[in-house]
Amino acid sequence: MRDLLFDRLHAGLGQVLDLRSQQSAMTAGNIANTDTPNYKAKFIPFDELLGSAMATDDMEMRRTHETHLSGMSGTVTDPSIEEIEAPPWALDGNSVNLEREMVRLKSNALQYSAVTKGIGKRMAMLRYVVDAKG
Amino acid sequence: MNILDTLRISASGLTAQRVRLQAISSNMANARSTRSTEEGTPYRRQMPVFQAVEANSFGSELAQQLSRVEVVDVEKSQAPFRQVFDPGHPDADEDGYVLYPNVDILHEMVDLMNTSRTYEANTNVTETTYKMANQALEMGRG
Repeated sequence: MRDLLFDRLHAGLGQVLDLRSQQSAMTAGNIANTDTPNYKAKFIPFDELLGSAMATDDMEMRRTHETHLSGMSGTVTDPSIEEIEAPPWALDGNSVNLEREMVRLKSNALQYSAVTKGIGKRMAMLRYVVDAKG
Repeated sequence: MNILDTLRISASGLTAQRVRLQAISSNMANARSTRSTEEGTPYRRQMPVFQAVEANSFGSELAQQLSRVEVVDVEKSQAPFRQVFDPGHPDADEDGYVLYPNVDILHEMVDLMNTSRTYEANTNVTETTYKMANQALEMGRG
């Protein structure tokens, strides 16, 4: 029987939350080190991770009919970290751009919120089934 | 790696900026101090030195990449002192010149604005982190 509560989507969503909270810690580190000479801003390249997860074909969903769409549900096991090089005019070799980091912070929080909402709705659906009376 | 790590990192940023603010206030207050206690020279401009330090040496490879900031030292500027011709001043030399601190008020004002903005950015991180933590707790409520 299919496990409704803890299936692959559930695990995947949990992993996204994990990565997103790591990204937020990374942004916190970047913002804290705005004035540290030679510090290089770091980030997790989510777009590339998504691209590489989509590219693997062994992650396809089970299809009961050949015309069904193949839903991808790749997982990311070992995310890489990218460092931003300092621009040539940065005299202290620091590559933190406060505006970029603030945008990353907010958009990351928004994505986090979207995933928590998604998990919440899944939970609500399950509760609806469990509580069904009559 | 958890929410507390993030909060600790932004707290380190807040501390660093506060130390910087202290140095700026000391520089501003002593912009015309022609005598300093320890040396026979006028007051020297104080400059905090920041260093990125590994935030969490345990945990995953990803967590080890995180860095908080630490104030390793407060150095004294070795820039030349400002020379002003004022023969009546008690600290004037035999030619009538007085040495004033190597503090530039304009420079300090710009630093002050920068400090305040960076502090604000760090408090923003703290707020966002709290929001995320709350959302994680609300997840089960549907």
